[in-house]
Amino acid sequence: MTSQRLPTVFLVDDHALIRAGLRAELSGHVDVIGEADEVAAAIEMILERSPDVVLLDVHMPDGGGMAVLRAVTKEQPEVKFLALSVSDAAEDVIAVVRAGARGYVTKSIEGPELVEAIARTAAGDAVFSRRLAGFVLDAFTNRSHDGSCAPALDPELDQLTPREIEVLRLIARGYSYRDIAGQLGIAIKTVESHVSAVLRKLQLSNRYQLTNWATERHLL
Amino acid sequence: MTLWILQTRQGESASIFTKTFNDHRDKEILFAVSIAVLTLLITVGTIGVGPPGAFLWFLALSCLEAVMVWRGASEEERDHLREITSSISTTQAGRTVGWRAIALRTGLGIIFIIWGISLMSRVSGERDAAAYVLVGASALVLGLFALFAPWWIRSVQDLSMERRARVRAQDRADMAAHVHDSVMQTLSLIQRSANDSNEVTRLARQQERDLRSWLANPEMFGTQSPTPRTLSQSILDVESEIEDNYDVSVEAVTVGDAPIDDAILALVAACREAALNAAKWSGVRDIAIFVEVESKQISLFVRDQGSGFDPATIAPDRQGIAGSIVDRMRRHGGTAVITSSPGAGTEVELRLPRTSS
Repeated sequence: MTSQRLPTVFLVDDHALIRAGLRAELSGHVDVIGEADEVAAAIEMILERSPDVVLLDVHMPDGGGMAVLRAVTKEQPEVKFLALSVSDAAEDVIAVVRAGARGYVTKSIEGPELVEAIARTAAGDAVFSRRLAGFVLDAFTNRSHDGSCAPALDPELDQLTPREIEVLRLIARGYSYRDIAGQLGIAIKTVESHVSAVLRKLQLSNRYQLTNWATERHLL
Repeated sequence: MTLWILQTRQGESASIFTKTFNDHRDKEILFAVSIAVLTLLITVGTIGVGPPGAFLWFLALSCLEAVMVWRGASEEERDHLREITSSISTTQAGRTVGWRAIALRTGLGIIFIIWGISLMSRVSGERDAAAYVLVGASALVLGLFALFAPWWIRSVQDLSMERRARVRAQDRADMAAHVHDSVMQTLSLIQRSANDSNEVTRLARQQERDLRSWLANPEMFGTQSPTPRTLSQSILDVESEIEDNYDVSVEAVTVGDAPIDDAILALVAACREAALNAAKWSGVRDIAIFVEVESKQISLFVRDQGSGFDPATIAPDRQGIAGSIVDRMRRHGGTAVITSSPGAGTEVELRLPRTSS
């Protein structure tokens, strides 16, 4: 965050108004090096310019943000994605994070928070919105549904540690990383590493709840 | 043997058959017609005139099926059927299959039918009558099948495809109408209160929530959420109520869910009170609600990052916090802890033990 260079950001969103708004909010805090409003152009330009962070709208025509994410990650895995969406439907969130996004924020996010989220993404840390934290807690610890969840095949990946659960709960309650560090008496860096560990589990775990989660939600 | 005919024919018309029984209220008509046909058959059978029994049975069955198809079809489907039958089947299929195949099939069909009928009409009480009828009937069925199968399959396919398309179109029209109505209304309201930015924000927020909940759960629309049946639904109600009445944004995150009971109602009421306080006094626009349902307890947090207050300076008898939150929770075996300090925001933490499950 204290680097001399502003993080380079590429905007992908099919609404011109949203892109303009983002540019205005981000100007001075990050270096917006390009924007695109459709999938094919976005892929081409991102690969050409290699930004630090791509701010990606999840819902776009022609396969949407997922298509951009997959295509770019295959070629340049070092480009980091922060998903930005009006939707907070569970299946969208889980899908985009599992496809490789480093975080997920909703479009109602305030400017300074977004800048912070971008900085965090650029530094390789995970960005969890309150809702995403709630989703993950639900997916990894849902005991109230039927109790018949498949046994954890890989405890390393399929379970959260008590500390990780604590951190997620505090995020869901609306605590910032700094507040969490204060509350738990740990360093902010430690909070960040917990969240990154959760993100890794979210991306790699084959928990039944993650793959079938969307369908489960509809049944509720 | 009648049974055998019955089965083949029915298998062939299964889709229409089931449709008649599932989709429509035409069972009575079908029943009446079958009674009539049966009576006719038995009468003719006992008198002992006319063509042999098996052929009659077969004929009757076909009639019945025709009636079934006709009654089973809806108005548009009937029009469609008329259209198909009016342009004769064989010539219709001709476009796609080619004339030689049609001629072959038609010829074969007619030969089989004639052969079948002639075989069956020879039956007159001989010992091997059954064998004649069996062969004759199969020939007849084969012939009819060769003649009409392509047309039959096609028309059945057409009908079901058309029905699906119609249902989809109807859905789309409903959705468009709903979105149009509600958005238009909101837009006109926004125009009227363009100077009042708070009002505009509120309207836009309300519209957004409306659309969102409707998109997430279209079948619930129109019922206007009667009485919420689960904890998460009632929390959403609190969220909208406070957003509508105060210029704040409330974001509720729920993990797990539980059906409503008295204790949970109290929890929701306490949550509402806490959120209301935050909306009125915190001085910030964002209120965070987090609910987690576990097997042993339910935890609920209402947090704002606003001005906060010193809990010690609040008189212990003040109704808002004491009555509406703490006592309410205590009555149901729960606890309420309010953490606040000036300048550091406020968090109300409610815990309710779960007795059931």
